[in-house]
Amino acid sequence: MAKVEKKEVAAATPPWKPKPRPIVRLGIVLISHSLLVSVVCCTAGIVALFLLPMLAKNTYISENALMPGSASSMLSNHDISEAERLAKDLTSLNSGAADAGIERRRVLAKYLSDLGVEVGYHKFQSHQNQFHPLHFFSSPDSGLSQENGSCSSYGINVVGIIRAPQADGKEAIVLVTPFNFRKNSSSEALSISIGYAVFSLLSRVSWLAKDIIWLVADSQYGEYASVASWLRDYHIPVFSASSSHNADSCFEGNNINLLREESPGRTEISSGFRRAGTMAAALVLKVTDVKGQLEDTLSVYAEASNGQMPNLDLINVVNYLAVHRQGLRVKVEKFLSVLTWEWIWMLGDTLNFIGKVAGSLNPEWKFGISTPDYVEGTATLASSLYRQALGIPTGPHGAFRDFQVDAITLEISPKVVYTNQGRRNEFILRSARLIEGVVRSVNNLLEKFHQSFFLYLLTSPAKFVSVGVYMIGFALLVAPLPLVAASLYVDANKPEPSSQDPKQKLQINFKPWKWLSAAKQVFTVHAWGVFVSLLPYFISQIPNSTPAAHSIIWFSLSTFGLLVLYLITKSPSKPQKGKWENLKSVTISAVFIGLLLMSVVNFATAQIGALVLVPACLLAQPLKLDIRTASLKSFLRIATNVFISFVAFPPAGFFILKGVNEGFGNMDVGEFWTWLESLWAWNSATYIYIGMVHLPCWVLCLQILLHSC
Amino acid sequence: MATANTEEEKSKSEQQKNHGGGGGFTRWAVLAVIFRLTLIYFPGNLNLSSRPEVSTPLTSIRRLAEGYWLKQSSMSPYAGSMYHGSPLLLSVLGPLTVKRIEGQPSHILCSLVFVLADLISAILLRATGRKLQMAYRKSLKSLNLLNKSTDSGGLSSGDIAALVYLWNPFTIVACVGLSTSPVENLFNILTLYGAATGIAPLAAFGWVMATHLSLYPAILIIPVILVLGYGPDAPPSKLFRSKENGKVGDDKSSQEIIFSWGRVLHLLVWTSVWSVYVLVLCSISVKQHSSLQEMFQRTYGFILTVEDLSPNIGVLWYFFAEVFDFFRDFFLIVFHSNILFMILPLAIRLKHRPCFLAFVYIAISSMLKSYPSVGDPALYLGLLGLFLDELADMQFCFFLFCGYVGVSVLSPVMHNLWIWRGTGNANFYYATAMAYACFQIVLVVESVSSMLNHDRKLMKLSASKLQK
Repeated sequence: MAKVEKKEVAAATPPWKPKPRPIVRLGIVLISHSLLVSVVCCTAGIVALFLLPMLAKNTYISENALMPGSASSMLSNHDISEAERLAKDLTSLNSGAADAGIERRRVLAKYLSDLGVEVGYHKFQSHQNQFHPLHFFSSPDSGLSQENGSCSSYGINVVGIIRAPQADGKEAIVLVTPFNFRKNSSSEALSISIGYAVFSLLSRVSWLAKDIIWLVADSQYGEYASVASWLRDYHIPVFSASSSHNADSCFEGNNINLLREESPGRTEISSGFRRAGTMAAALVLKVTDVKGQLEDTLSVYAEASNGQMPNLDLINVVNYLAVHRQGLRVKVEKFLSVLTWEWIWMLGDTLNFIGKVAGSLNPEWKFGISTPDYVEGTATLASSLYRQALGIPTGPHGAFRDFQVDAITLEISPKVVYTNQGRRNEFILRSARLIEGVVRSVNNLLEKFHQSFFLYLLTSPAKFVSVGVYMIGFALLVAPLPLVAASLYVDANKPEPSSQDPKQKLQINFKPWKWLSAAKQVFTVHAWGVFVSLLPYFISQIPNSTPAAHSIIWFSLSTFGLLVLYLITKSPSKPQKGKWENLKSVTISAVFIGLLLMSVVNFATAQIGALVLVPACLLAQPLKLDIRTASLKSFLRIATNVFISFVAFPPAGFFILKGVNEGFGNMDVGEFWTWLESLWAWNSATYIYIGMVHLPCWVLCLQILLHSC
Repeated sequence: MATANTEEEKSKSEQQKNHGGGGGFTRWAVLAVIFRLTLIYFPGNLNLSSRPEVSTPLTSIRRLAEGYWLKQSSMSPYAGSMYHGSPLLLSVLGPLTVKRIEGQPSHILCSLVFVLADLISAILLRATGRKLQMAYRKSLKSLNLLNKSTDSGGLSSGDIAALVYLWNPFTIVACVGLSTSPVENLFNILTLYGAATGIAPLAAFGWVMATHLSLYPAILIIPVILVLGYGPDAPPSKLFRSKENGKVGDDKSSQEIIFSWGRVLHLLVWTSVWSVYVLVLCSISVKQHSSLQEMFQRTYGFILTVEDLSPNIGVLWYFFAEVFDFFRDFFLIVFHSNILFMILPLAIRLKHRPCFLAFVYIAISSMLKSYPSVGDPALYLGLLGLFLDELADMQFCFFLFCGYVGVSVLSPVMHNLWIWRGTGNANFYYATAMAYACFQIVLVVESVSSMLNHDRKLMKLSASKLQK
């Protein structure tokens, strides 16, 4: 677009240029009507966002090889009674005893080795999540910290591996059940039952083409940490003995010998790390107690770090089998508060009406959607966008995505807490059959999941919006940015009327590019943004202080840095014509690049960010100018500018959103810090976006507003 | 009296300005070196030396270390398609790659060499810029076009070019990321410096070394010959001729522009001397475990046949990964002759501005190179600074600036998306490479056209002066 704009200048000044080409003329028309175009595009972009639930397509199994539900289940009651015996043995152990955890692991290992599978223990130390600003651009292993942790926080996972009888062991499917060996929990025991039932069946079947790994993850330090450390050790072999010894030395004196001392079952329990092939898919299985449900439900969690999703086919298979074979109700997370918003219902009614009218005009047009469906879809879509935008994985499956393994968490919650053994067995049977079916489907795969989508938003378990659809809305929203930047640039760099006379024009003198000083200003503010986003790393090192203190230190240091920068770079030159236009033009270009980049990294963040930044950038105009004109239009603009620049300030926006959702009663300054800390601890790109795109842009918009022209 | 006073003041302030400009340059240059050193000592995981943008098969220091290791263990350094650089570079940098200093990052000595190379390049660029500016002023003066108000300004174009070179993020990344391109760039700039100052042996040495290291600078022989033959950049010769026709009696402008064959012959003699010298050194270096023939095969042959198809910021790797094998030779010829086809027309059109011609050649070859890295744009963007006075009216500069920034941040992200996350594919990354190539094309086209416009403007200006 900027290219076009330059052409216009060229066409205006030198007389020997021929008439521009049609595409150039089109660009000139667009640029000269940039106000109209930007209003139309922005409105269309926002409308397109609200149309997304209507444009959602039904999911379908894209990969033919999966063939879900084509084989009948082989799971028998024998497997389940064995599994229930294991669960009873685990829960009957006295949880108060110090070595109950060791005892439980031993029981589990004994059962596994009785099945004739390979069993191993995996020891790990739980690491605190750490801030690696460069983590995103490097391989997953380079951010690995090698410092010596204390021996206090270690855990032991139990791993069972079934070798596929007719395969070469190059591929594997992973089942994960988080289990806290130190505590007695009926729901976790239930999940172990389900896992064991499936595993014991799989150890007997002849159709396995991929190895099966069952990871019983020690969840006493969080479910994610144990899975992540197992995956790291799985994929990144340690060649130097030093770091593995580090973990081992903690166990030497303790109780690892207890684990090693006997081999109770049919197979040896190995102390070394056991591996199978590359992972085709992973399922994390959890059972939770949720009160007041009408039927057994299955919640699917799929968001991994930075809004990455597993291949849609995996969710499709689970959804298909759960709904059509096992009769479970499948849920994905949604914002319940959206359901209470009056205006969403009204919007739904309107869209429903439009759809009906369109349908009556031409029966071929079937884009109507019923109002409840629309509202449900919006609530799910909002939650899907929010979870992806946060960039924090919603469960242990997130660890797999870092190694390009498709994984989801299945959270099954029974209708009631079963006391009757028969009902309980039936619940286990249904859940285990679901897992068996999914494993059997994935087992059929010849290659990695690649057929279906990786980039999508869910509006219900069986409906999705693909990247090709949601990108249109985003593109419409950001399209005005380059246009407005170009038109501002042209306005600011118009040749002065005095230079029109030939004598002036024909002079050899170097006039510095006007935009360079604006670019310098934008660059300084962005450098300040980098400084601000690196500060928490140092602030968090301060011992014994509260989040509130942290945020106050952070805020004051950032403001101080901005003041210093302002004083250093403040040029004494008088304000010249077109200065703020240049500044705005460069700012808008920077925002455009930033949003484009973010839409590739994490679409949801870019979409939400664009909703705030695009109006803020486009409307920004020096307040002085508006005050001078003092018309109704300029007054309106002042009001919107002040409002937007207040909302766009990240802490203010955070507290407003929080207040709307949870009431303005109990606000704590530290909450914002805690929230951001969670972002950077998970290496979320959203944190970098806020620090390096959003905040600098906000500062620049303020500078434009307060510009003395 | 009053006028004299003001004149004096003017000259004083000018001196101060010049002094201030020099001080500014030194300060910024020292800052650039310090910045590089801090980045080298930075204990973080910058991991630049394994980025595809920085280290190509030709410039990677890890490959060089591997080649040196092979040589030390009595094997041909070119065994196993690891190393494809010059044996001389191996002898100079190889020992530095194995030397470790306690408590310092590995490859610290190599890094220091590259920082030094960058600094020398910047100093040479500055000197070249001075020379070019003097020539420009002189030709303007002889056309009576120089007006006094124009020479006020903070830094001269040479200073700006040197600072652009030193502070260009591409240069910094190439230097800190331990690619050998700073050394290659140094020899390119040395060639131009030698030519601009008229030192034929130096120009010949720079050209021979640059060609030996990366082959593509071979086409620079044409600009070098033109510089030595005609002198540095000047307005078109017919301008002077028309002026002469207009005012016959003027002594100053009666300088005839003659192609000085003597200096060109001098250059050619020196070129052959240096080539023989480099070849002898190479053969001594490789004679134990391999031969000169193998050296040519593994360096020039590797460049010309595009054997390594690992992704880089160029456009060839994807194409040759996709193309059918039996068309491969044909397209190899097509792509390489692309560069050759452009040599002659450009040389004819821009023969009065040979240094600018060299810039255009370097930009074109870095676009169509088989293994481009960020060191190449670093070189031509630095050279672009030399022609700031002439290119002041260049169009699209803001657009190009935004484009370069956008592509250079988007490209690593696309690479990450493809290689590490698996949600993107090669097309995503290649799209940024194509966008980058487009921006380079726009840059070349626009700079050439604005240079020609500048010449036209000078023509009009002198015509209008003549009419008066």
